[in-house]
Amino acid sequence: MKKVAPFIILFAFLALLGRTLFYTNPDKLSYSLIGETIPNFQLPNLLFGQKFFNNKDLNNPVSLLNVWASWCYACKIEASTLMQIKEKYHIPIYGIAYKDAPNEVKTWLKKYGNPYQLIGDDKNGNIAIDFGIYGTPETFVIAQGKIIYRHVGVLDQKTWETILYPLVKKYE
Amino acid sequence: MNKLLLVVSPCIRRISSLWILCALTSIGFATEIQQKQPNLYPFNSTIDAKRFELLIQEIRCIVCQNQNLAESNASLANDLRNKIYQMIIAKQSNAEIKSYLVKRYGEFILLRPLFNIKTYILWLFPFVAIILLIYRFYVVR
Repeated sequence: MKKVAPFIILFAFLALLGRTLFYTNPDKLSYSLIGETIPNFQLPNLLFGQKFFNNKDLNNPVSLLNVWASWCYACKIEASTLMQIKEKYHIPIYGIAYKDAPNEVKTWLKKYGNPYQLIGDDKNGNIAIDFGIYGTPETFVIAQGKIIYRHVGVLDQKTWETILYPLVKKYE
Repeated sequence: MNKLLLVVSPCIRRISSLWILCALTSIGFATEIQQKQPNLYPFNSTIDAKRFELLIQEIRCIVCQNQNLAESNASLANDLRNKIYQMIIAKQSNAEIKSYLVKRYGEFILLRPLFNIKTYILWLFPFVAIILLIYRFYVVR
């Protein structure tokens, strides 16, 4: 028994190691800000109306925060979904223009439509890092100033209807 | 044959000394350029400067293939370097900076994995395996 026991323990450790290595999803992004209050920020607003867009503007029962850029190809693909959310579902959408030029943003909005209530100009990407952004586009569901859900990549109709909208409905 | 060697060898020597001269001048130029580069992250204290150097070596560039922030030219790596710089200037500790980054980008951002419930098996396995094998082959014969 003494001769076999070390191999049994070794095998058990190997099995544990295998489970750790092969049964975790390496593509899943770890993000611990869910359920937490959004970071404090104040950015110049690129739309008409108020001068700044800050974290207090997101104190609605529920809203979407979309981080995007006019130079981002994928943002063009999701533009129609965002317009539909605004027109059909009447959910307020706020934008953060990530490392963009204000003129380019305005031209883009004329071309693809404007789903946003306010757009913050995050010139150097500093606020985007406070939100843990990898790139554009990313969309957050925010309820009463707290992050409820984060979607990385293009927000398509199917994702909106099956994942984001059911969440939004809970807080509406 | 000997005559040919006598003619050729000084030529080879001259060419090789030319190469050495070229290499030395280029090294000289490189160091000069390096010295002339403005310091992008100026610190008042050397301790903070060292903290910054160490942190950017320990933090992964999350959009690159296994590079740290110090080595990467990616835009996000540059932004993260700036963020770390601002946090050091704001007198935040290394632990606070790391916890800020881990919260947003996960433990993956740390090049040296933490020792916790998710990683203990990775840390302990080699030592346990060595001890068990020593026990098996040297103690129990």
